[in-house]
Amino acid sequence: MIVGDLKPLEEIVAAIKDYKQVLVLGCGSCVTVCLSGGEKEAEQLSRELSRIRHYQGPPPKFVVGSILRQCERDLVHTYQEIPPETDAVLSLACGAGVQTLADELEPLPVIPALNTTFLGASDKPGSWTEKCKGCGNCILIHTGGICPVARCAKSLFNGPCGGSKGGYCEVGQGTPCAWTQIVARLKKMDRLHCYEDLHSFKDWRPGGASGVRKRVRAGLGEGSGTNQSKDS
Amino acid sequence: MSYFRVNDNCNGCLACVENCPASALDFGDQDGQRTLKHNMTKCARCGQCWRVCPQDAIEFQHLLVGEWDEVISLDLIQCRVCGEVLYSPAYQQKMDSKLNSTSEALCPKHRQNAAAAKLLPSKRRQK
Repeated sequence: MIVGDLKPLEEIVAAIKDYKQVLVLGCGSCVTVCLSGGEKEAEQLSRELSRIRHYQGPPPKFVVGSILRQCERDLVHTYQEIPPETDAVLSLACGAGVQTLADELEPLPVIPALNTTFLGASDKPGSWTEKCKGCGNCILIHTGGICPVARCAKSLFNGPCGGSKGGYCEVGQGTPCAWTQIVARLKKMDRLHCYEDLHSFKDWRPGGASGVRKRVRAGLGEGSGTNQSKDS
Repeated sequence: MSYFRVNDNCNGCLACVENCPASALDFGDQDGQRTLKHNMTKCARCGQCWRVCPQDAIEFQHLLVGEWDEVISLDLIQCRVCGEVLYSPAYQQKMDSKLNSTSEALCPKHRQNAAAAKLLPSKRRQK
């Protein structure tokens, strides 16, 4: 899922202080599950932002709302009501949600309350770790289901660097060395021979290096009347 | 009441069933009747059904803002002095068996008062 972190309060206050009424809008999907941008967090943030001590002048009025997914424009268009007198929206969605809202609500300013952080998974309750960079060319079949693009600090493709010590990465913070993990996993799978296969330079174009990525699937909207997925 | 609801525009064309990516919609034809079925545990609430419905029959708002389902109703034990809700009888039973004693139905404040009341006369007796 997409994991996000709440921005520092001072940064949010600086962005909203000049507005009179702000809609604080939670998103009901990824950021609800990772406890950073759901309805509950929107209510908490609104309560905190209402405190007069954050402002030199009068604080804005806050209205709280939430929608299942802010990243679907037709859903927002049909079901998200913007209360009268709202002069800004503070979105607790990921960057995709913030931009969808900004497109839909133009010219109303849409302010991000989160920093969208990574695509991750929850290994244990309350903890999320980055697992995927959306690089567009998955190599997990060769690496025992552990991604060196996302989990190696240098995104190395052919084994660890000299900074791997005792199974940990030199970047510290208890970060395991992805390649140590990959080798251990391949051994367990009896597929250590995969480690001997050399991978060529990665083509980063499918990962976004050649511009905005877009997918059109058959059956809906632009894909209507076609039988196959189209990449463009 | 199902969260997936359709209005009177529904003509049973099954566009929603055919386009549901989560296989959460199904239908049955029997005795001259077509029944549309929805499985909430499979539903991703993605809205594809609502988008493809040629009749504008799907009332998707019921999948966005639903009602509360009652799950269970349990008896409650309350503080015998102030009436504050304490726990259910099953919870009390488990607690008593773990503590190997019988707990009195008292909230923390009145439990403290009761303990103090028991203590005070004995201190006076000692004097």
